[in-house]
Amino acid sequence: MNDMTPTREQREAALEGMGCKRKRVEDIRFTQGKGKYVDDIKLPGMLHGDFVRSPYAHAKVTKIDATEALKLPGVIAVLTAEDLKGVNLAWMPTLAGDVQMVLADGKVLYQNQEVAFVVAEDRYIADDAVQLVEVEYEELPVLVDPFKSLDPDAPVLRPDLDGKMEGAHGPRKHHNHIFNWSVGEEEATDKAFAEADVTVKEMISYHRTHPSPLETCQCLASMDKVTGQLTVYGTFQAPHVVRTVASLLSTIPEHKIHVIAPDVGGGFGNKVGVYPGYVCAIVASIVTGLPVKWVEDRMENLSTTSFARDYHMTTEIAAKKDGTVTALKVHVLGDHGGFDACADPSKWPAGFFNIVTGSYDFPVAHLSVDGVYTNKAPGGVAYRCSFRVTEAAYCIERGMDVLAQKLGMDPADLRLKNFIQPEQFPYNSALGWEYDSGDYPTAMHKAMDAIDYRGLREEQKAKQEAFKRGETREIMGIGVSFFTEIVGAGPSKNCDILGVAMFDSAEIRIHPTGSVISRMGTKSQGQGHETTWAQIIATEIGIPASDITVEEGDTDTAPYGLGTYGSRSTPVAGAAIALAARKIRNKAQMIAAHMLEVSEYDLDWDVDGFQVKGNPERRKSMKEIAWAAYHAPPAGIEPGLEAVSYYDPPNMTYPFGAYFCVMDIDVDTGVAKTRRFYALDDCGTRINPMIIEGQVHGGLTEAFAIAMGQEISYDAMGNVQGASFMDFFLPTAVETPHWETDFTVTPSPHHPIGAKGVGESPNVGGVPAFSNAVNDAFGFLGATHIQMPHDAWRLWKVAKDLGAHG
Amino acid sequence: MKMADSQKIEAPRETVWAALNDPQVLKQCIPGCEELEMTDGNQMQAKVKLKVGPVKATFGGKVTLEDLNPPESYRIVGEGSGGVAGFAKGGAVVRLEEDGPDATILHYDVDAQVGGKIAQLGGRLIDSTAKRLAGEFFKTFGEVVAPSSENTEAAESTDGAEEPAKKGWLSGVFSKKDEKPADTDA
Repeated sequence: MNDMTPTREQREAALEGMGCKRKRVEDIRFTQGKGKYVDDIKLPGMLHGDFVRSPYAHAKVTKIDATEALKLPGVIAVLTAEDLKGVNLAWMPTLAGDVQMVLADGKVLYQNQEVAFVVAEDRYIADDAVQLVEVEYEELPVLVDPFKSLDPDAPVLRPDLDGKMEGAHGPRKHHNHIFNWSVGEEEATDKAFAEADVTVKEMISYHRTHPSPLETCQCLASMDKVTGQLTVYGTFQAPHVVRTVASLLSTIPEHKIHVIAPDVGGGFGNKVGVYPGYVCAIVASIVTGLPVKWVEDRMENLSTTSFARDYHMTTEIAAKKDGTVTALKVHVLGDHGGFDACADPSKWPAGFFNIVTGSYDFPVAHLSVDGVYTNKAPGGVAYRCSFRVTEAAYCIERGMDVLAQKLGMDPADLRLKNFIQPEQFPYNSALGWEYDSGDYPTAMHKAMDAIDYRGLREEQKAKQEAFKRGETREIMGIGVSFFTEIVGAGPSKNCDILGVAMFDSAEIRIHPTGSVISRMGTKSQGQGHETTWAQIIATEIGIPASDITVEEGDTDTAPYGLGTYGSRSTPVAGAAIALAARKIRNKAQMIAAHMLEVSEYDLDWDVDGFQVKGNPERRKSMKEIAWAAYHAPPAGIEPGLEAVSYYDPPNMTYPFGAYFCVMDIDVDTGVAKTRRFYALDDCGTRINPMIIEGQVHGGLTEAFAIAMGQEISYDAMGNVQGASFMDFFLPTAVETPHWETDFTVTPSPHHPIGAKGVGESPNVGGVPAFSNAVNDAFGFLGATHIQMPHDAWRLWKVAKDLGAHG
Repeated sequence: MKMADSQKIEAPRETVWAALNDPQVLKQCIPGCEELEMTDGNQMQAKVKLKVGPVKATFGGKVTLEDLNPPESYRIVGEGSGGVAGFAKGGAVVRLEEDGPDATILHYDVDAQVGGKIAQLGGRLIDSTAKRLAGEFFKTFGEVVAPSSENTEAAESTDGAEEPAKKGWLSGVFSKKDEKPADTDA
């Protein structure tokens, strides 16, 4: 018998706990087409909504005539702002402290803005009826260029704010001004600049783009007039927040609202906000007493629900001759579109952009951000990044390269010279953050060795000479990026959404036979929570991950949480899971002590159970303890075995990484080929290395898309130019480069399992790596900064403008 | 969108001028034109069915003839709305140059703006579509004004020769079925 007893290693392996490359359990249904998304849900009598949208970017709406639409058989109702005024919902608050029209109230501020909501028996009838609604517009001058938004004669976009010179984030200085947000020491920074040996200044733009998840935004609202219960199925990254917002807006008590986020087909920040479609579907269901479904099409998704970026960053760095940086000064002009609907924690109008000092030891810095209105769609979500962190990383990583070029220094050496050193952690940055942990030089050296950085530089030099001699038409660039993120929002002392502190939660219940159901306040949109959360629990309480069910997204069953975005799930909910599991283990220890008739202090935890100190043969497994908890609970101890934990993080976490991109560009065609892309990530403790690798692959692919072509642009009339996949670059396996991944591990000292979060790092670090590679390639021809996106046409034009075409 | 070109028509300038001012002729020649009625003086009401890329819509609007300088030139301006498909507005300066007694060279200079769905979805196809429509217009116009002329064929082939090179594979995919097939290597 003894030979059959599993070894400690075997017992450990059977758990498939932290560190295991466990296969994603959700993929069993996803790969078989058995996922259940909002549009798969069909309720009896369900109606369908569709929007009449504005073809104009800026116009008065003088008349809406739905007579013909209502004559179409199958059309139930056409809602306009006038109807919504009856329930006080023509406008709704945004997460950024502004208000936003649900349906056009007298005017439209961007193309494709929602003007009327048609409700019909099926989607086809609704679509036909949309074409029959006659709307009269009176065109107004269009404001597209954010740099002209604060001109004295700029068109007034928001007459509703007329005279309100105090905004949600302080004083407004112009009718199109939203806020100014300043951090740091301006005087000391100016002084450092005055005393600097070298200074550089560059306007670095991060263009407007869009998260473009494969599943667009959608919801299904169902009001039961008998019970007074409102059920909303939706593509929500934060279902509990949606419930609270729905209650505040509708005045339906929160316990009468049931929000369910089923499988979500990608979010990337697009599904954090509350959109007019949700409000209209809910109102239509309340009015009709029938379920109403609203599903965006691709153009609606790309052109109306939450863009990302659109930050124009004037960046200045001061340094000594030897390359030591002495000060950083950044001014950002943020183009927020027609309404300020940024999805940031309430007190952070520019998110955590003040992480812009990056991985470098800047003694002083100053940051000033101005948000402005333009005739573009609202949004400003964190597209696969923490709040405005990818903008900040792009800003400083481009800025460091610009400085290196001016100093004639190697960009990797400049970074090594200025890194925050391991012994400086916890490190207080000049713009107010306390970095938890890091070892930047180790990561950088590992990465440089892995790709033979010095060898690549030699090769590049030879190629440049060959190019000058006319022997090749190809130029080579090496993109260096060393990013520090700030994720895991966040501590209740400085982070809230509409007043709700940004904690997260977990509930774990052990069944009598030792299997588990657990529920969290987060919501996976493809991150693999069902797999990784079970691994944390498995390691903490010694029950195999395969015996643990993870459930998210149902507000009636899951504990309240702030949801999944900003790489906050592992730093916040991951901690709550570990702490809930430890509560269970503590109780299990008391039960085990009773069962083994020893003091609980005489027990040691060992993989999947407790054993008596000095006598490991005497042990009780977690399964045995679970049975005892329900079957024969010790006197004085409550039966059952379950726990809930709410975790308020003491600090953010600061993942970092070293990324290198090697690129070859044909100057005659502008075609850029990524020869190598190496990504070293340090996300602290690694829960599932395979999922991390998958996350890095996905994030790098999005970074590649953004840097090399993905863009939402507008023409002078405010026509959105990137509103379909004909124009909006979404790379497939054909275009996507090969990714090499690597890692170091510097655990977070304040997190229960030392994990930092990884889902967004590759986007944050990837974009500057690509852009720096392009800039590095063209540098020897005289380029100092080339704006993104770097598509073939633009690179061809850069080459032409630099005289490379002869 | 800007487009300028010229076209030789085998007919005297007066004939061409008269045709250019005849709503019946214009209706016949404007691709997709379903209605064109003179409403007053130099103003017409038009209904035109248009397809730009994947967007199909009927545009209704006003067309006005301005700066009349018979038989030499005028400016034709219009504004039309296609409902949810978007809107179009713009104008063209049309100038007739005598090329001997029996032929006329028609110069046109178009400046148009489009907005809404056609601008978003058909944005990259608008130039090629406009070129195609202009080609169709002048082919028919030539046939109507100078029925026996062989020159219209030449005009058509000039227009056609330019097209395949400028046409992307996408516009081929979305072009009408009765047109020549798209490049098969796309």
